[in-house]
Amino acid sequence: MTRVANWLDERLAWRRVWEAIFLRRVPKVNWFYTLGSATLFVALNQIVTGILLTIYYVPTPDHAYDSVQYITTEVPAGWLIRGLHHWGASALIVLVVLHMLRVILGGAYKYPREITWMTGVVLLIVSLGFGFTGYLLPWDQKAYWATTVGTRIAGTAPVIGDSMLRILRGGEDLTAVTLARFFGVHVWILPVALLTLIGIHLYLVIRIGISAVPKRKE
Amino acid sequence: MDEEKQVSRRGFLSRTIWAIGGLITAGFGIPAIAYIIGPALQRDAAQNLIRLGAASKVELGIPTLFKVTVQRKTGWIVNEEELSIYVRTDDGRNFTAMSNVCTHLGCRVRWVADRKEFFCPCHNGVFDKDGNVISGPPPRPLNRYEVKVENGQLSIVGG
Repeated sequence: MTRVANWLDERLAWRRVWEAIFLRRVPKVNWFYTLGSATLFVALNQIVTGILLTIYYVPTPDHAYDSVQYITTEVPAGWLIRGLHHWGASALIVLVVLHMLRVILGGAYKYPREITWMTGVVLLIVSLGFGFTGYLLPWDQKAYWATTVGTRIAGTAPVIGDSMLRILRGGEDLTAVTLARFFGVHVWILPVALLTLIGIHLYLVIRIGISAVPKRKE
Repeated sequence: MDEEKQVSRRGFLSRTIWAIGGLITAGFGIPAIAYIIGPALQRDAAQNLIRLGAASKVELGIPTLFKVTVQRKTGWIVNEEELSIYVRTDDGRNFTAMSNVCTHLGCRVRWVADRKEFFCPCHNGVFDKDGNVISGPPPRPLNRYEVKVENGQLSIVGG
């Protein structure tokens, strides 16, 4: 075991990577500083359960609802996988917002952490995008009407509103085209954006280190 | 673990973290495996009685073809499927029901009356009137169904 680890370390220098990531020196902080890790954990949960859901889910109007019912009622542990993804989605938004509040209130967005903050803001938008596109996928009444309303809100924007609505829906109405593109965005475009941004975000956290709790005098 | 050695605070915490990580991994991994392989483990449990028709339609000694439509559920999709069953009797009381699906590669066999054989056109498989292989590549006799006769009506058990 140790010999294999040494052999690999000689070639990969994984111990240095490990130390850099997990054995960093951190200032004495409080529990609010765990919100970022908590968000990351829930994001991992969303990735794992989301990948599993695509094994049975079919994003077309004639199969979407039935395949979701099949997952929930007939596939072993399907209720658990779907439930984790469903509740994880809400938990993620809550945690992202709390994490952001801590950063704002602690002033952690200041020099030299501006880029970390900016990628974090985009990550918040990406998370909301996940929520918006994922909400349509079960293709039940709630999904259909929520997306009808949501896309129409985009349509109220001045000048570009109408084209935004048409681009979101892939046409005038909410149809199979809408479902397919929401699915594509939910499982391809947003995950790629999410992983890229998390990569930058975490690299900066590790490289710069986390901020200390602000002191009275500063 | 060496009991002489004192467990350091750091060592204890590190082990605890690994243990919790292991539990979480198992918590995801075990349901995930069940979820993925689940449908593969389900056998066609539907042992329904499928009604074929009147027993009087079967001529003595000659396999008679019955066609019935059955509903089969695959995943969340219900399909109508046509089953073709050959039924044969020698005495009008004991019936044998055979599938018309060749045991070689799944083509449909047909009864050739003047040769008194079942013939599969795909690879020249030949079965006798009881479905036993006479010649050709089929590895085993035609599949049999359990037959029930009630009030002169034939039914088979299966799906």
